[in-house]
Amino acid sequence: MNPARAYLRSRGRLPKTWSDRYATLFGLVLVIALAGQPIEAALSGLAGRADPSRLGAGLALIFAGYAGFLVLARTLGPVALPAADAAWLVLSPLSRRSTLTRTAVVLFAVSTVGGLALGVALLAVVGAPDHLTLRVAAALVVGVATAIGGMATAVLGQASPAWDHWVQAVVAGTLVAAVLSAALGGGPGRSTLTAVASAPSAWVGAVAGTAVVTAAVSAWRAWIALDRIPAQRLLRSSSRWGRLNTAVTLLDPGALTWAAEENRWRGRVLRSRRWPRLVTGRWAGEQALAWQEWRRVGRRPLRLAVLFGTAALPAFAVQAGLSAVAAVVLLGGALAAAVACTAGIRRDADDPTLTRLLAVDPRAALAARAVLPVLVAALWLALGLTGLMSVGALPVGVWWLLAPAVAPALAAGAMRMARRRPLDHSMPVIDMGAGAIPAGPLIWALTGVDLALPAGFPALTALVERPADPRSLIVTQALVGAVVLVAYLLRAASRRS
Amino acid sequence: MAEGVVVARGVQVELGGHPILWDVDLTAGSGEIVAVVGENGAGKSTLLRCLAGLQSPAGGEIDVLDGPPVDEARFWREVALVGDEPAWYPGLSTREHLELMHAVHRDGRLTVDEALAVFSLERRADLHPLSLSTGQRQRLSLAMALLRPSRLLLLDEPERGLDTEFRGRLAAILRDYATLGGTVVMATHDLALADAAEAHLITLESKA
Repeated sequence: MNPARAYLRSRGRLPKTWSDRYATLFGLVLVIALAGQPIEAALSGLAGRADPSRLGAGLALIFAGYAGFLVLARTLGPVALPAADAAWLVLSPLSRRSTLTRTAVVLFAVSTVGGLALGVALLAVVGAPDHLTLRVAAALVVGVATAIGGMATAVLGQASPAWDHWVQAVVAGTLVAAVLSAALGGGPGRSTLTAVASAPSAWVGAVAGTAVVTAAVSAWRAWIALDRIPAQRLLRSSSRWGRLNTAVTLLDPGALTWAAEENRWRGRVLRSRRWPRLVTGRWAGEQALAWQEWRRVGRRPLRLAVLFGTAALPAFAVQAGLSAVAAVVLLGGALAAAVACTAGIRRDADDPTLTRLLAVDPRAALAARAVLPVLVAALWLALGLTGLMSVGALPVGVWWLLAPAVAPALAAGAMRMARRRPLDHSMPVIDMGAGAIPAGPLIWALTGVDLALPAGFPALTALVERPADPRSLIVTQALVGAVVLVAYLLRAASRRS
Repeated sequence: MAEGVVVARGVQVELGGHPILWDVDLTAGSGEIVAVVGENGAGKSTLLRCLAGLQSPAGGEIDVLDGPPVDEARFWREVALVGDEPAWYPGLSTREHLELMHAVHRDGRLTVDEALAVFSLERRADLHPLSLSTGQRQRLSLAMALLRPSRLLLLDEPERGLDTEFRGRLAAILRDYATLGGTVVMATHDLALADAAEAHLITLESKA
């Protein structure tokens, strides 16, 4: 054991007794006994051939989930230490690998759990036409091996820029695979996917074996590379984890948004440009301020592309047999797209120092800043509706008008979300009968949604009921959306959220 | 009360039952620089917040530009406040923060290039403010305040993070501002800066 850790352990917690070990073992046995039966039943239920109509969308979601796993691992480090260890042990002459052993074990455990979930999801999509035990085992092995291999590659990427390029290539490749799966699943390639899903069990075994060997080699190389991770990167990732930990502990996700933005722009060289003539001039002060958000969004084209790429999710949900949630995904996604364009509003609400220095009128500034979230929400909705029309969930035609009709309502919700006050932990706990819910986090989470949901109700009704002639609901939505946005702007300028 | 741009008489502020300011008087006319000095906790920043309309005094009268100070856009069009470091806008470079100020106030006192030169920020113009040092970020705050037109500058410890050489230059910048008819009220610990700016001193004493 690392001598520093041994010293800290001797000064800290009491050594584990036989009673502690017994309690741990008993807990594990209890969990297995309780969870074993439902897991077995769920896995047995997966026996049978895959549904060809859902195969493409299901695989696309799995690939997208795996890409998200890799991006998250790369963004957070993945190797990081608690603040005290980062401050005292990283810059000490101790062996770096021994300092990072505990983190490596945690990453291994996280990858294993994530991999098991990936394996179950894979099995749910491709099914098990024969040899149920073998196919279940193979799916779980492939899932775990893929997750461990991905995490190991992310660790290698943290140790060397060359490997980091590989991680980015794997993420890009996985996203391409997701798009291809979705495209093949909806067209003539469906038979190809079905053939792959019902491959002979010998092939499945070979794939699992290859995945295990590849993951083992990657994990071994990552273990060796732990000694070579530069201290600067470890400190940076540890600081990021520290912020995440603080945000989770204090239940203040807003702090994460600030940290993410600051990490993004710190140290970057930007190509400074003048403000366009369109938003400058004697009466254009507030429009000039609003241009800040346009420029910020425009400086992240990849993020914008991914944002609009997610507009395919409602169509995927329909293809995956989740038609009931497609409407929620459509409106929720558009709300999220609008929220992505409110960083300036959030900043002005949290710290009005710059708006005071700029001497802009708060109401006019908020109105000018509302244009971008409305446009982005409308565009995202238009793409989402196009997806739903392409899979036959909606008829082509008047449904397009739903996008501009509901976008103002969602933008008002997004702005209210951006301007909400910090989470208040001093609020009382509400006893709901089925359990106690702290009012502070509940109110924080609902602020914004509480405006978007009622204001977007006509659109939600139209999407759920899908009437033959939705024109009256669309007109109602347009009126409600416009009134809610104007009322919000008039009221919000005088008070926060 | 029309004898000054800033007139404060008998200002009293209490926080948590403790007196912070007690019967403080301050008058600053057009073209005048006033430096509020005193030890930590004497109430310098509190006085500036009262003058900016960000804190209501428990007693006394404050008149700024012929009316009580209010936290509204029409007030801030005449008054520029530089206090704690602001939250910089994400996605904008140092130059673009100045461009933004210039776009909002077309008839600025300085052009963006002049502001970058006067505050020695040309070589950092394309970096986000968070990539600058503490002193450079303070220069950017001051540059934003001095680029735009205003009649009153409220500065809370403007020397914060600045090197000795630039403090001398800041004194000259403030003198120029006052020469053109502007009024400056600053809270400071730097008596040399106050002296170089030819400021009228007001000393606050801690009530603790």
